[in-house]
Amino acid sequence: MNNKTCAATVHAVAGTAVIKLTGEVDGGAAGVLTAAYQQAVADGSAQTVLLDFARVGYINSTGIALIVSVLAQARAQRRKVVASGLSEHYREIFDITRLSDFIEVFGDLDTAMSQLARPA
Amino acid sequence: MTSVAHPAGRRLASFAVASEPGNERIALARVAEAVAGCGLTGARLERLKTAVAEATMNAIEHGNRNQPGIPVDVEVTQDGADIIVAITDRGGEHAAPGTTGPGITGPGITGPGITGPGITGAGPGGPAAEPDLELKLAGQQPPRGWGLFLIRNMVDAMQVSTDGPWHTIQLTMRTGAGAPEADLPGGGQ
Repeated sequence: MNNKTCAATVHAVAGTAVIKLTGEVDGGAAGVLTAAYQQAVADGSAQTVLLDFARVGYINSTGIALIVSVLAQARAQRRKVVASGLSEHYREIFDITRLSDFIEVFGDLDTAMSQLARPA
Repeated sequence: MTSVAHPAGRRLASFAVASEPGNERIALARVAEAVAGCGLTGARLERLKTAVAEATMNAIEHGNRNQPGIPVDVEVTQDGADIIVAITDRGGEHAAPGTTGPGITGPGITGPGITGPGITGAGPGGPAAEPDLELKLAGQQPPRGWGLFLIRNMVDAMQVSTDGPWHTIQLTMRTGAGAPEADLPGGGQ
């Protein structure tokens, strides 16, 4: 079975580290997601980590566990995690698992960035 | 031993996948293909797909222990307004905690033959802990353990049975007038 391997790109915008994910967030994504998070916070300037799922077609329970791990790590470092680009189905899964209680979810990346750029 | 009533009705598909990680995607795609035109669309089709993928993944990993020579059997039937997917592995002797016991059911609707005392069937390791995100974030539960929870919350009913080495999870989704509001035109959107 050929799965669409997860890949990630990381860039920073004004205190927010944006991790754009593509492919499938499942067990095979562990290394990619861990490395992306480490890269995102490497210089210590990112107060917020934004996970963009716009190009993710599949998230399974192992992928949810990976997201939980990233969230736990970020919270331990007093960083905020937000998400964008989730389909309606995965937004529902974020609600059911209560991830959306801890990760603010925006419709798309542009909306997320504009909201995050607003003064607190 | 408990038994799940063999689903009556029209068989839509019957196939097997090898117990190799990733093959849950084959099961997901074939079930989606089998139920096309059965009135299950949109969000509820996505829910069934997720439940099938998670149940097949459990069957591959926990039931058949990733042994490619041991198949996971999948049967899809339509019984009136119910679409029923039965996923069977050979892990009856070592079923994952919380996935055995009489009449494990999902939220909401229960149908004929889908009854029981609740979701706390005792497996070999005792009842599976309900995943709690706050506990996971506090390091008091492992990050994993969402599979069965997702399945239960995705389908209208879930029943698990063991029969000797056979371990079956049966997923039911209702269509048409019997479906929850979200499946009806204009509902839940």
